[in-house]
Amino acid sequence: MAAAAGWLAKNVAVIAVPIVTLIFGLFIGWLAQRSGFCSIGGFRDFFIFRHTRLLYGYLALISGAFIGYLVFSLLTPSALGGFFWVLHNGLIPVPGAPANLSVAAYIILAIVGGIAVGLIGLLLGGCPLRQVVMTSEGNMKSLVFVIGMCAGSVIYAAWISGVGVAILKGLGIA
Amino acid sequence: MAEKINVSDKTKGVDTWARNPLYVGLAIGILAVLVQVLLISAGGPEAYGFCVACHTRDVVNVAVNDIAGTKLAVAAISQNAILPVMTVIGVLIGAFISARYYQEFRTKAGSAVSYLWYLLGGIFFMIFALFMGGCPYRMGLRIGYGDVVALIGVIAIIIGVLAGIKIASAMMEREG
Repeated sequence: MAAAAGWLAKNVAVIAVPIVTLIFGLFIGWLAQRSGFCSIGGFRDFFIFRHTRLLYGYLALISGAFIGYLVFSLLTPSALGGFFWVLHNGLIPVPGAPANLSVAAYIILAIVGGIAVGLIGLLLGGCPLRQVVMTSEGNMKSLVFVIGMCAGSVIYAAWISGVGVAILKGLGIA
Repeated sequence: MAEKINVSDKTKGVDTWARNPLYVGLAIGILAVLVQVLLISAGGPEAYGFCVACHTRDVVNVAVNDIAGTKLAVAAISQNAILPVMTVIGVLIGAFISARYYQEFRTKAGSAVSYLWYLLGGIFFMIFALFMGGCPYRMGLRIGYGDVVALIGVIAIIIGVLAGIKIASAMMEREG
């Protein structure tokens, strides 16, 4: 696949990245503060109370993204070369997790990672977006969670990701 | 969760939309696509318009790399751009302004033990989210992009939530 090309040329895009994402983030911060938007909270409220308010929000995010990708893949196919991913790449996931593993390894990482993410988010009262928003609402416990996330990203990149991949390779599934 | 409705004119108009997660979710999903369409020339990965875990990782690791001269992994888009993706910084500021404006800002402290749990929770949350390749939101974007492994990841998140509900209710019963 050729290098993906969006609306902005590369020399403009590299300058626009922090500006566009900051404005986008400000907008999400406002909306998430007003609505109490939370993915894990959506699942929790549905399973405990059968409340669908937050759950529909998360499903709307998936639907909105799908519709958006579909429309823009027709308008600017060069920016969305991977859509619809499974038709081009099969079960290999979109890059983001550790690179160059087998499909089986990616599925194991998704299952183990997903269960841990759901469990931690449920027990500590929210997904990461909700924790960030609660930090801005003055919740000190959420602030500590966000600090933990920052520490976790360094710990992961420096040590854990290599160890995890080595374990998968040692077990013969990477 | 502060659900106080105070001045009536502040809850009218656009705020009625902003308080409805359905519209908020649609807006985040569509705008995340627009971010990719605008910025993908700066670098991948795809379906990366919005992610609380990965975008936090990019800001922190780029800062650590710049200060300490390390080479911690970040996404290509944040490596190539003049500054990394600032989405999470935006969320922090945007939510703070909103909480102040609607008078919902309350400083809430916790116990020392709770801080320890939240710190460990944050660390492990980030590690497992990065192994999975994103927070629940990027998993949502990836499902919209057609990634089957992301769908498996979200099903695993649901299993984790169900397990968490079991554990939480067992703990509550034990404490009476």
